[in-house]
Amino acid sequence: MKLRLLTLTTLAVAGIAGSAFAADTVKLGYQLPLTGDTAQYGQDFRKAAEIALTEFNAAGKPFKVEIVFEDSRSDAKEGTNIARKFVDDKEIVGVLGDFTSGVSMAAAQVYKEAGMPQLSQTASHPDYTKISKYQFRNIATQAQEGPYNAKWMASKGLKTVAVIAEQTDWGQSVVSGFSDAVKADGGKVVFSEFFNRGLKDYRSLISKLERAKPDAIYTGFFYEDGAQFLKQLHQLGVKTPVYSTSAAYSPKLIELAGEAAEGMHLTSNFLPTDPSPNVQHFVEEWKKRSDGAVPGQFPAQAYDAVRIMLAAVEKAQPNPTREKVRDALAQTKDFPGVTGKTSFSADREAEKELVKVEVKGGAFVPVKD
Amino acid sequence: MFDPYYLQQLAIGLSLGMTYALMAIGFTLIFGVLNVVNFAHGEIYTLGAFAGLVLISATAPPIVAVILGALAIGALAGFSLERLAFKPFRRFTDEASLKSRAMRESTLLSSLAVSIVVREALEIVFGSQMRSIPFEYLINTPVRVGPVILVTGDFIIFGVAAAMLIGLQYLLTRTRVGLAIRAVSNNPLGAKYVGIDTDRTIITTFVVGSMMGAAAGILMGLYYGAVFPAMGFTPGIKAFVAMVMGGLSSIPGAVICALILGISESMATTFVSSGWSDMVAYGFLILTLIFFPNGLFGARRERV
Repeated sequence: MKLRLLTLTTLAVAGIAGSAFAADTVKLGYQLPLTGDTAQYGQDFRKAAEIALTEFNAAGKPFKVEIVFEDSRSDAKEGTNIARKFVDDKEIVGVLGDFTSGVSMAAAQVYKEAGMPQLSQTASHPDYTKISKYQFRNIATQAQEGPYNAKWMASKGLKTVAVIAEQTDWGQSVVSGFSDAVKADGGKVVFSEFFNRGLKDYRSLISKLERAKPDAIYTGFFYEDGAQFLKQLHQLGVKTPVYSTSAAYSPKLIELAGEAAEGMHLTSNFLPTDPSPNVQHFVEEWKKRSDGAVPGQFPAQAYDAVRIMLAAVEKAQPNPTREKVRDALAQTKDFPGVTGKTSFSADREAEKELVKVEVKGGAFVPVKD
Repeated sequence: MFDPYYLQQLAIGLSLGMTYALMAIGFTLIFGVLNVVNFAHGEIYTLGAFAGLVLISATAPPIVAVILGALAIGALAGFSLERLAFKPFRRFTDEASLKSRAMRESTLLSSLAVSIVVREALEIVFGSQMRSIPFEYLINTPVRVGPVILVTGDFIIFGVAAAMLIGLQYLLTRTRVGLAIRAVSNNPLGAKYVGIDTDRTIITTFVVGSMMGAAAGILMGLYYGAVFPAMGFTPGIKAFVAMVMGGLSSIPGAVICALILGISESMATTFVSSGWSDMVAYGFLILTLIFFPNGLFGARRERV
């Protein structure tokens, strides 16, 4: 009996010592595609996260943070497996990612059950944050961007619009978010179609689209598909103006499409040319790690997402738990990030300010209208 | 009056089909004609494109030198691929092993393994981002032919594909090397008994086929202006479908089927959503396998 009590006490002491040690390093999980078709995004997120983490750990805080990166390959099944792994690791108090809305939403089901706060830098499907009170995002949704762009186009007198988007959860939210707003503004969607991500040849689609004679084309794509689309539009001599979402905002788009990108309109919430020290610091750090390349909007969102999460972890000190981190995240107000000030609304949406941008002379230039 | 829209779609389909054919020719030579299961051809294509890209960014040579460089890398890659993934399975020269289908088909996995290693290695070295090729090298200046708009690349690809097809047909039917290739594919053991150097024949075929794959890769890179590690996957699938439809062993068959594929895909876009046009390729594959198990142009032959 005595022996048993002693063992118990020893175990309890060891347990306390263990948790005291754990308080010195807080663990976060980051699920993202590091291989496969969308690896380029995941690699960028990891780079952005490492910049944020190095800065945080070098700042002389009483505790250190460690981020566990897991490769989801943008595969929902893989994403769910990682989510289970993160949930089972009792030391992990918060999770970042995933990249696509589809995978983020699949993993969110696991986080919802386990009560793990999840902050995605890019999942913009409207249903994502509706899953539970544990889902946050650091990106403008299409429910926000669609009407914004519809108003912009209406103000330019573009009445009939053709809409194309990639065949994904996100692409569908682009089309629905935009089309409803166009109708409300008195415009008309004359053509609407989805294509498969990674399509090489858009010429058939472009010829078909042009038969509907739209005033403008609204597009839901990322820079790879966007560059091919713009180039082939240019090849076929189509002059219809193109509008797009902030997802296409990447220096790579201009690099790949060249002069075919001229005159394209899109929205953004990050401008690497912004002179504020915050932004310039991030751009400099990024350039150092990427052979002088300028970051696009997604890495900037990831950088902010990681810093928002780190701030929440800090607020949840001492002995942060998943619940405490979630509450701290929910209280985020006017976080000064590189993508503008971020606050989470009551339904855990990031309220972002959007900027209108046009491609002029081989660069993204902010425009008034 | 015939709607110029359909003419344009037809032209797009033909040019799309031509890009599939370009890939299908080298693929069919190794997989179909030599009868060796090889799933690494897509990576040879990618390697060819990257070789061209590296050459362009390092020394900015004339375009002919870029293509020659890609061909050299293709030949080297084909040789190494054969050495790594195929040669070890021909280690046993006894009759049972030579006749064994399991031995022959095990290269399905070894070549797939090589392809995965190559793709991931490229991702580590170059990153998985799409890389752009300087605009002065691109072969996509628009050319107007009557009511139809094509680009310069369409004509170049047509020329190269035609040259490859005619050259290979000549090689296979009129030369001793071609005879040896057909003999090895037909009966490796028999070929060995009559004194054909099977190893050398197989290596030659791999080198020639891979050079064609690498040439296809760099041409596609110049045509679409983007090079990335995963670029070989989709063309590989399309080339596979074209090869199976064409009856595996027939290179002209594969080319014709590649053109049929391209045209049906672009025509299908008119009637169904573009998201479904990939279904056309797989639909054709299934239909062919059900109604023409030997392909549309294939000879009767026992198959993998």
